[in-house]
Amino acid sequence: MDIAVLVKQSLDVQELRVDQDTGKIYIEDAPTKAGDIELNATEEAVRLKEKLGGKAIAIMLSTGGASGKRQKEAREALTRVLAMGLDGAVLIMGEGAEKGDTYVIAKALAEEIRDKFGLVLAAEGSEDNFSGLLPARLAAELGWPYVAYATAIEVEGDHVKVTRSLEDFEEVVRVKFPAVISVTQEINKPRVPKLVEIVKAKKKPLDQKDFSPPVEPKLTIRELKVPKVERKQIVIEGDVEEAAEKLIQALKEEGVL
Amino acid sequence: MKVLAFSHSMDLALELVSAGRELGDVSLLVTSDQEGRINEVKGAKEVLLCKGLDSGDQEGLVELISGLASDYEVVLLASDRRGRELVGQVAHRLGASSAVDVSSLSVEDGKLVVERMTFGGKAIAVEEMSLPAVISVQKGKFKPPEEGEPSVREVSAPSIERRVEVIERKEKPKVGVPLDKAEIVVAVGRGFRKKEDLKLAYELADVLGGVVGATRPVAADLKWMEEEVWIGISGVRIAPKLLIVVGASGQQQFAAGIMDSKVVVAVNTDSKAPIFEQADYGVVMDLYEFLPVLTKKLKEIKGG
Ligand SMILES: Cc1cc2nc3c(=O)[nH]c(=O)nc-3n(C[C@H](O)[C@H](O)[C@H](O)COP(=O)(O)OP(=O)(O)OC[C@H]3O[C@@H](n4cnc5c(N)ncnc54)[C@H](O)[C@@H]3O)c2cc1C
Repeated sequence: MDIAVLVKQSLDVQELRVDQDTGKIYIEDAPTKAGDIELNATEEAVRLKEKLGGKAIAIMLSTGGASGKRQKEAREALTRVLAMGLDGAVLIMGEGAEKGDTYVIAKALAEEIRDKFGLVLAAEGSEDNFSGLLPARLAAELGWPYVAYATAIEVEGDHVKVTRSLEDFEEVVRVKFPAVISVTQEINKPRVPKLVEIVKAKKKPLDQKDFSPPVEPKLTIRELKVPKVERKQIVIEGDVEEAAEKLIQALKEEGVL
Repeated sequence: MKVLAFSHSMDLALELVSAGRELGDVSLLVTSDQEGRINEVKGAKEVLLCKGLDSGDQEGLVELISGLASDYEVVLLASDRRGRELVGQVAHRLGASSAVDVSSLSVEDGKLVVERMTFGGKAIAVEEMSLPAVISVQKGKFKPPEEGEPSVREVSAPSIERRVEVIERKEKPKVGVPLDKAEIVVAVGRGFRKKEDLKLAYELADVLGGVVGATRPVAADLKWMEEEVWIGISGVRIAPKLLIVVGASGQQQFAAGIMDSKVVVAVNTDSKAPIFEQADYGVVMDLYEFLPVLTKKLKEIKGG
């Protein structure tokens, strides 16, 4: 049975610059990458594919536009997960993809996945948007069961046992294949590929396809605003004793002690 | 607009009723395990009671809510983990638009407009949603209504084949003071070298009358806190009047959870740590040297 790993081309939010005064968000300037939790999903796929005896393939539908820069970054992100031990990758890209909402993307991804895979692994949320909507929609589109927030996955014959972490309890569920499962950061420690593995990964199959939206989106982003957070950023100087005293004084003046 | 609401947590369900009233009449779905709290529901037009379904049955819920939803324009769910798990599935079954963790909702020219945090908290997205729409509402944004008795109507449970079977469920220890309601919070990060050392943070919190929270790795990965209470985009968002962040780098996903704090103090050995940009007062020092002294001095003042 083959495994599909969903990898999103996410904005690197740590590097994203915003200007609080003008409200400008420098999206084009920010680099993109595979999300950290998608590396956990990749690690889990590499571990599970031995038990399931098939291949594990990364699937990326890029919504970053079709510029040369974004294309290069998308291929780099896929090389990164291939170097961790995936067998191949599919990159779907094209004009208009940036307007796609989760409804559109789920429909397009389902066409790529249906009849080819028995298990889909994804992150509980993407690095930049963190909605977790896509794997849920994909499961519904495919008509497969969906289990989110996995902290452990064990294969047992024709089903998997998934431990998942919810706010007030931990739950163990048994799910039949085919299924869609999203994982958390705590499920494993993603391996860091060696240089030779990265070199080898560049020779693994990376199948690039053109995107054309199968349906119209249900949601449009009207505006992106920059929240105003003003911090004083005062550095307290002095030795330990002095610093503690100065801090206490400052907090008293703020009226929070 | 007609609104259908449901949450696994009765407390969040009451917040959803309030959020839904911004749009129109609300019907609140109540499952068998929640029946005992039905009389707490105020302000909804009606309660839809399903005696044949437990809220632990996610597949049953997807089926039930998708079925009922044909009579409504908007479905509201909570932004806890199980609520968010339902949003995408229900929305897709209905061919509806979807958004999670929204902080406000309104109708403008017949369009549903919502706001939500994105880019790890660096931006707020204002989104226009087509109807029907399925939405999860941010926790703590809406106060439960106090008046208005709903009528009660029973609905029948769906009969479907379950593909997910719950084989074990373990309760987690309950949190003492909810972090999102605390006035003073000390947040600990991986700068602490071992679990025992968190004592330094608890002592500081004690003298201030505050509570201790953590970054995600400290709570979920190292499991140093007895409860799963981490602060951030995937955890709790806090709004204390004083927050002291100790030994945490201040990565964006953490920072998104502390934006509403009034005064932020950061203690970190690395003067370049991003947390200092998120702080009003920064102390570039070893927490092991600084915290004991700070706590001692605070004790002296508080002691009289
Ligand atoms: C999609 C996604 C969602 C996420 N959601 C969350 C979330 O909700 N909440 C969250 O917290 N994280 C979240 N994370 C993880 C987040 O990106 C960071 O990895 C995490 O916040 C870092 O935790 P930390 O600051 O404790 O550890 P580190 O980043 O390792 O920082 C430790 C800090 O301690 C300092 N330090 C070390 N020794 C000392 C000392 N003796 N005295 C003082 N300072 C010292 C170091 O200088 C360093 O800055 C998420 C990640 C992703 C990808």
